[in-house]
Amino acid sequence: MERAAPEGPGQEASVQSILVVEDSATMRSLIASTLEELGPGVKITEASSGFEALRLLPRGAFHLIVTDINMPDINGLELVSFVKKNPAYAAIPLIIVSTESSERDREKGIGLGADAYLVKPFEPEDLRGLARDLLHAREEA
Amino acid sequence: MTARRKTTKRRTKAYREFVSEAEEILERMRDDLSDLADRRGQGADVDPELVNRLFRSAHSLKGLSGMFGLDGVSELSHHLEDVLDGLRMGRTAVDERALGLLDESVALVAQTLEKLEEGEGAGLDEQAAELIARIDGWARAPKAEAAGEGELDLEPAMQRALTEYEEHRLRENVRRGRRIVVVEANFDILSFEEGLAELTAAVREVGEVLSTLPSPGETPEAQIRFSLLVATDFPPEGLAARLELAGGAVRPASRSAAAAAAARSEPAPGAADATAPAEAEAAPRPRAEELDAEAEPAGEADSLAGGDLASLKSISETVRVDIRKLDELMNLVGELVIQRSAIAKLARQLRQDAATARLGAELEKIHKGLERKLQELQAGVLEVRMVPLRQVFEKLSRVVRRLRRDTDKEVRLEIRGADTELDKLIVEELVDPLMHVVRNAFDHAIETAEERLAAGKPREGSIRLEAYQRGNDVVIEATDDGRGIDAEAVHRRAIERGVVDAGNHLSRREILDLVFAPGLSTRDEVTETSGRGVGMDVVRANITALGGVVDVASEPGRGTTVTMTLPITLAIIQALIVGVAGERFAIPLNSVRETLLVDPAEVQRSDGRELLNLRGEALPLRRLASEFSLGEALREQKQYAVVLGIGDARLGLLVDRLEGQQDVVIKPIQGPIRSVRGIAGATEVGDSGAVLVLDVSALVEDSRSREAREAPARRAP
Repeated sequence: MERAAPEGPGQEASVQSILVVEDSATMRSLIASTLEELGPGVKITEASSGFEALRLLPRGAFHLIVTDINMPDINGLELVSFVKKNPAYAAIPLIIVSTESSERDREKGIGLGADAYLVKPFEPEDLRGLARDLLHAREEA
Repeated sequence: MTARRKTTKRRTKAYREFVSEAEEILERMRDDLSDLADRRGQGADVDPELVNRLFRSAHSLKGLSGMFGLDGVSELSHHLEDVLDGLRMGRTAVDERALGLLDESVALVAQTLEKLEEGEGAGLDEQAAELIARIDGWARAPKAEAAGEGELDLEPAMQRALTEYEEHRLRENVRRGRRIVVVEANFDILSFEEGLAELTAAVREVGEVLSTLPSPGETPEAQIRFSLLVATDFPPEGLAARLELAGGAVRPASRSAAAAAAARSEPAPGAADATAPAEAEAAPRPRAEELDAEAEPAGEADSLAGGDLASLKSISETVRVDIRKLDELMNLVGELVIQRSAIAKLARQLRQDAATARLGAELEKIHKGLERKLQELQAGVLEVRMVPLRQVFEKLSRVVRRLRRDTDKEVRLEIRGADTELDKLIVEELVDPLMHVVRNAFDHAIETAEERLAAGKPREGSIRLEAYQRGNDVVIEATDDGRGIDAEAVHRRAIERGVVDAGNHLSRREILDLVFAPGLSTRDEVTETSGRGVGMDVVRANITALGGVVDVASEPGRGTTVTMTLPITLAIIQALIVGVAGERFAIPLNSVRETLLVDPAEVQRSDGRELLNLRGEALPLRRLASEFSLGEALREQKQYAVVLGIGDARLGLLVDRLEGQQDVVIKPIQGPIRSVRGIAGATEVGDSGAVLVLDVSALVEDSRSREAREAPARRAP
C-alpha cells in the first residue's frame, strides 16, 4: 500500500494523491480546486462522506487526507481515529478543516493524531501552505 | 479571522454551486423545522437526530457563506447555528419561541440570498439586525439544566473520538438511566455499508446510536470493524439475541465493566495487572455519573458481553434488492410466458390430428400445470415490486404543512388508502404530477379564510388524497373543497388561444378537459380567472406516459376532483391481439371493455366523424388502419370494434380480426419509431415475432382532444 518516497528533490515528477472528505459539494470542490493549484502532480480524490472515505482508502495510496468534522454518517474524528489506528494509513498526514464552532472537537482531532487544523472560512493559500509542508515533510521522512 | 477574498472571481461556477447547495440546505431545514413543530404539536419527544440535522444544515450554511465572503448570510446562519446548538445540546428547550426564531431566521437567510441573486448588497439590513438582537436576548434567557460535565466511564479509545454533541447525547442517555453498550461487527471493507446500515437499523429499533467508530478489522487489508455506541432500555438478555451480528458482539461500554470482564476471562494475573493502571487512574476521581446506572451484577454483564454468540438470531427478515435485478427476473418470467404460449399452440395442433391427439391432450395437461405455476411466479415477482403509496403521500403532506406555514392559508390534507400498492417505478414517477395537483389545489383552488367564511364554508380548506385499487388499476383522487373551475373562463380563454373554435359547442365535461391542453394550462391568466390549470398539461403527459389517464370534475363553489387512473404494473400485461390490414397489434386487456362485431351499416357518420350507437350512447370510432396509415380496409366488410375505456373515456377501435388473448411483456422500442404516438412498445407473440403494443391512453386522449377541437357546432348534450 505504501508508496516509496521519490528519490531526490524531483517533487514535480511524482504524483501526490490527496483525499478530500467533505459532505458539502460546494466546500468539497472549493477545497479540491484550492489544492489542485499546488501543481500538475497533484491528484485529488473526493469523498462526500466518511463512509465513502473508508471505502476509498484501500484503493488509493494517499499522501494526504483533508477532512471535515461535522458529517452525517461517521464524523471526522471517527475517521481520524480509524486512519491513525490502521497501520496501513497511520503515516498519512491529516488536516482537519472545520468551522470555529467546534473548537473542542478540533482539539480532539489533534489528540487523535491529526497533523493540523484549519478554520473555515480559510484563506486558500493557508490550506495550500499546510498541504505543501505536510507533503514535503512526508517525502523527507 | 483573516481577510477573505470576496472577489467576483469566486462568483463563478463555484458561486453557482454554492447558491444551489444553499437552496437545498434551506429547503431541508424548512422540512425539518416543520417536522419538529409537528412532533411537538403531537406531544412526541424531540427527535435528537432531527435537531442535529438542523444544526448541521446551519453549520454548513455558515461555513459555505463564509467561504464566499457573504458576511450577512454567514452571521445570520451563525446565530441560527447557535440557537440549534443550544437545542441539540439540551441547553434550551424546543419551545414556541425557539421554533419561531428558527423559522424567521431560515426565512431571512433565504430572503438575503435572493437579494444577493438580484445583485443587492450582502450586508445585513435592519430586519436582520433586529432578529439577531432577539436571538441574543433569547440566548440570555435562563437555560434548562444540561446534563453534567462529569467524567465519563468509557473506554478511552471510544471517548476520544466522540464529538461534543455525541458526548452530550451520551450523558443525556445516562441521565435517563439507559444502559450504554457497544455493539461490534466486522465487515468486508469494500462493501460494509449495506451490512452496517442493516445493523444500525436493527440497533435503532432498540435504542439510540450515539457514535459509529470504525477501526481496522481482524485482517486490516480486507476487513473493517465498527463499534456502535448504543444507549438502550432493552434488557441485556434480549439485546444480543435481537441483533444480527456479523462476527461481532454486544458488550458493556463502561471502562470498568470491560476491565472487569477482561480480568475474569483472563486468569493470568499479568493480564489483569495490565488493566489495573487504567482502573487505578480512574478510581480516585469523583465520578459524576456511572455508565451502568448501578454497576451491573457480573452475571448480567456476562450475558450482555455476548458470551452466547451461538444464540444470536437474525431479527432482520428483509433483504434489499436492486430494482434492476427484479427487472431481469421479470424479463425472464416474460420470456417463459412467451414460450408457454408456444407450447399451448403446439398442443392444440397435436390435438387436431387424430394420430397425435392423445399426445396433444397430455401435453395440454402438462401445459395447464405449467401455466398455473407460471402465474404464481409472475404474481410473486410482481408483488415484490409493489410498494405502498404511503411515502409519496407523506411527502405531499410535508409539502402542504410547509405551504401552510409559509402562507396564511388554512388547509388540511386528508389521506386515505396510503397502503394501496403500485409498482415501484410507477410510484416514483407519480411524485411530480401529484405534487403539481396538490400545489395547484393549495395555491389556486382553496380560497382565503375570509373568502371561505363569506361563502359559508368552513374556515379551513381541505384537500383529500384517496387511493384505491379498482380491478387492474389503481385510482388516485385529489379532491379539494375550493372555488371550483370556472368553465366559462376556461372556454373563453381556449377560444382566444385558438385551442378550440368559437363555433364549437362543447359539453361542460369537454370544456373542463381543456385545462389539460398545452396552450392553455400554462397561462397565468387562466389561473387567476379559473383558479386552476397551471401545468396541468404536464400532469397529463406524466400520467399518460405511465399508461394512465387523468380526468377532472369540478363544481363551481364546491370544489374540484382530479382523478388519476394507473395500471398497477408496467411489466407484464394481458393483451388482446388484433389484426388489421395484414399487421398485428397487441392491446392491453385492462383497457378493453368489450368487443363487438360491427356491420358497416351500423356506423353513423356525423360531420366527418364515425360513431356507433352503443346501447344508446354515441361511441366515437377510430379505424386502426387509418391511425397508422395501413391502407383502408373494405368498408363493406364487417369489422370488430374493440371498445377501449380508461377512466370514464371510451373509444371504439375498428379492426379486421380478433386473434385471442396473450400475456405479453412490453419492451421499449429503440430507434426511429420509438416516439410514434399511440405505440407503447413492442412484444413478442409466440412464434410469430414482434408485434407492436398500442398505447391506449394516448389513443383515448388524442381522440378526446380531437373531439373537442374538431366538433363543429354540435348541439348541447
